[in-house]
Amino acid sequence: MENQSLIKIKPKKYANGEVVNVSFMVMHPMETGMRKDKKTGEIVPAQYINSVKFEYKGKVITTMNVWESLSANPVFTTYMKIDGEGELRVTYTENTGAVSQTSMKITPKG
Amino acid sequence: MQRREFFKKMGSVVAVSAVIPMMSFAEEAKKLVGPNEFSYEKALNIITSGKGATASPKVTLKAPEIAENGAVVPVTVEVESPMTESDYVKTIHIFATKNNNSRCISVHLTPANAKAMFSARIKLGSTQDVVALIEMSDGSFLSAAQSVKVTIGGCG
Amino acid sequence: MKIATKIALSLALLCSLSFGGEQFSMSDADRAMYAEMLENNPADLMVANGERLLADLGGSEALAKYLGMSEDTLPEYIAGFPRYMEKFKMVVGLDQVLQGMMHDAGKKPYKLKSPEMFDMLAFTKSLANDVKINIDVNANKHMKDAYALGQKTFDTKRGGRGLSCLSCHAPAVIGLILRTQPLPDLAVQNSGGTWPAYRMTKSSLTTLQHRFQGCMDNALLKVIPLGSPEMVALEVYVTEKSKGQAIAIPGLKR
Repeated sequence: MENQSLIKIKPKKYANGEVVNVSFMVMHPMETGMRKDKKTGEIVPAQYINSVKFEYKGKVITTMNVWESLSANPVFTTYMKIDGEGELRVTYTENTGAVSQTSMKITPKG
Repeated sequence: MQRREFFKKMGSVVAVSAVIPMMSFAEEAKKLVGPNEFSYEKALNIITSGKGATASPKVTLKAPEIAENGAVVPVTVEVESPMTESDYVKTIHIFATKNNNSRCISVHLTPANAKAMFSARIKLGSTQDVVALIEMSDGSFLSAAQSVKVTIGGCG
Repeated sequence: MKIATKIALSLALLCSLSFGGEQFSMSDADRAMYAEMLENNPADLMVANGERLLADLGGSEALAKYLGMSEDTLPEYIAGFPRYMEKFKMVVGLDQVLQGMMHDAGKKPYKLKSPEMFDMLAFTKSLANDVKINIDVNANKHMKDAYALGQKTFDTKRGGRGLSCLSCHAPAVIGLILRTQPLPDLAVQNSGGTWPAYRMTKSSLTTLQHRFQGCMDNALLKVIPLGSPEMVALEVYVTEKSKGQAIAIPGLKR
């Protein structure tokens, strides 16, 4: 099942050349591989996001290496400069090999 | 059966790592169970090639002095930088120095970010120092640290 | 060990306990950092999921219609829950309204304790964000009874340790430190307006009634079922304490 994720830009309305706050949040357990299941007593295998990539208008602007020390349901917040209309795409991979993607359209006003 | 699945997973991890050309660490054999150990000293050594980093007022690390809950500790790192092609922050590394795996996240920025600032929430296993290690485009390394006291308590 | 030493030791321990609270609780600056996290609350994901789930039922438009409201009057109406509804012949929470709505639409209602219901409840209540809580515990006999039952449930000592909600939430004990945490004032905390909330210790979205259950479980009281008259009454009683404060869903709690 695809994990639910969300890209948020602040402020909601922005102009060309403006530097905006970009947050990517995703529903993910970020299992460390050290936690025991309370019911079965078995160790829950590690499952965590190990990389995140931000692309804007097809160009990579930020990449991240991620480890299990990030909190569950992580939120990644950076900044970027608005430079015209185009797609902002976030791709993330997990240590299990799964790859997921989400995107939003960037439409500057004025 | 389990063994086979384990290797299958290992295989796919290696494949993905190869596709993403941004690993700053050579050894990324992921263990699916048990502590994924990596000390802060080792990481610092690898990243700075043994040079170490200079504590700098240009780096602001914001984290609570006391965290009532080690599972969610907000951390914000901001670096003073013009973020131009010739002078920008290349990477913001965040470490939890006493976690089994001290590495939390390495954020590779570009001038397109326009502002060298990053925030996330990390897990802290115990009271410890959180360190921001900054890799500048000129190859220098800056840092900032803060001690976070983790308390365990509360109701439910 | 000599008795004198023992006494000295236990005294020292006592002192460290009583002063312990100070050094373990967060400063205002620390709290401000956590408050900033509301901007990017992980529960936003759950609320977005709730929006999708409600959309499957026709969205806020269908909900307004179900409640006999217009989309303009819906937020004010939501800000008055739990309330007595003639349709159900009892005082109900918003989650029970959503169950009724699903039932009438010919769908199998989500269980009150299901994550789907938590998500949908959070989204529905968020429709009333910024609206002040306007619960009216004197609106009718049913509400008066519910408020009284809520207070009784809050005050009654139960379980192996003879504890009640009041044991930790009486005005006299607010601010005392229990297990390194200051005991909160439910009214100041706006408990009625900030649940459902993201529980950081659980990494999940939780509702007010479910939080009550957690309290009961930890204090060794038999857990009261979600949606039961006592549980809804307890929500009425605690929500009344936040009357006039603005709804801000999803909340963010330790």
